[in-house]
Amino acid sequence: MDNLRDIECAIEAVLFAAGDSVSIEKISEIVNQDKKTTISILSGMEMKYKNSSRGIMLRQLGSNYQLCTKPEYDEHIACLGTSRKRQGLSQAAYEVLSIIAYHQPVTRAHIEQIRGVNSDNVISTLAEKNLVYEIGRQEGPGRPKLYGTTEEFLRVFGFNSISDIPQIGMNEIKMVMNDIPVD
Amino acid sequence: MKNEIAGSVHNAYTIKLDNFEGPFDLLFYLIEKNQIDIYDIPILEITDQYMDYLFAMQEMDLDIASEFLVMASTLLHIKSKLLLPSKKEENQEEIDPREELIMKLVEYKKAKDLASILQEKEKTWKKVYYKLPEVLPESAFEVILDVTPSLLMECYQKCMQDYHDKQNDVSDKMGRILAQEKVSLKLKVRELLVKLKKGIKICFSQVYSLKSMSRVEVATGFLATLEVAKLGRATIQQKEEFGEIYIKPKRTKEG
Repeated sequence: MDNLRDIECAIEAVLFAAGDSVSIEKISEIVNQDKKTTISILSGMEMKYKNSSRGIMLRQLGSNYQLCTKPEYDEHIACLGTSRKRQGLSQAAYEVLSIIAYHQPVTRAHIEQIRGVNSDNVISTLAEKNLVYEIGRQEGPGRPKLYGTTEEFLRVFGFNSISDIPQIGMNEIKMVMNDIPVD
Repeated sequence: MKNEIAGSVHNAYTIKLDNFEGPFDLLFYLIEKNQIDIYDIPILEITDQYMDYLFAMQEMDLDIASEFLVMASTLLHIKSKLLLPSKKEENQEEIDPREELIMKLVEYKKAKDLASILQEKEKTWKKVYYKLPEVLPESAFEVILDVTPSLLMECYQKCMQDYHDKQNDVSDKMGRILAQEKVSLKLKVRELLVKLKKGIKICFSQVYSLKSMSRVEVATGFLATLEVAKLGRATIQQKEEFGEIYIKPKRTKEG
């Protein structure tokens, strides 16, 4: 399989059949290309889906890829009667999720320190919804659990990868911290 | 503006009271309401307002979570530090007592900002639909065996050759043992033959037990058993792996 068109068609077929996200390694194995080439083919496809008149699009989720419908057509899909309603998260849940997203891998204690409130229940809820998971344990006393965000988190909030999460005013904060007025 | 704030403070708690996520949330609400620069918090005013809220909660018999009290004491601590003239060494740089609180507030603000970004992004991305995975038959990935009769024969021959080689190895070892061991195999064979002459079935574990003799002796006993069987003077039987070995005398032409 050397023809670019053939490769793209094969990837499309594979991703359609897979439904779930498929890893770059798997895709490159299937189309028999090296990883770097596969990634560039996939980003090319991503642009093609985006710019051409298609109802579906290609999404990058960390090191995986998945096909989905474009958000613009949700009303049409809703007419099928298969619309599902996801139960929304609480304000607290969004807060905890944000802290985990920024500070991952992060312990419960650290989350609690930032929020000033016990957050155990919220973390459990987020884990149940498969938005966060236990990455591992921190070395040190008590070996506390470390939390991080999942692929589902990227999927639900439309990020390509963790590094895609916007960094809010980091420079601004640093700058201001240096010249806090002394009373 | 400031007068207006002071005037409205006492009524403020009627607007929003019980749905603060925590002390930082309440503090943030106050900061935003008064349009204060987060990096230059007028601690005196904020502390007063914060305390007003707590008193109001008390009046309404709401349970005040301990976290709110911790924050209240932190604020009062900072306030007192700012009021009291600090006596410290000349060359030591003065630390703003608010700094730690500001750091925490900034961190909390970052989380809050991202939280609202997440809520916004979720609105778009929950309109997206995914397909369920196809159920792929597993046999599609099965490896089909490619075996010919001649290959089987080769394997068998190799197996037998290995087995044969191993047998030879054992006999080499036996020679070595015969030459070196104090416990003589010849003697053991003779002993065993005497026992067998009585015509009784022998249990290996009863005759050769590690409780009453050395490891070498038991091993030699085992070799003797094999030797006797090889000579055709007995049959050996073992029903399962690591099970009991029975030695049964076999009638020979002489006996």
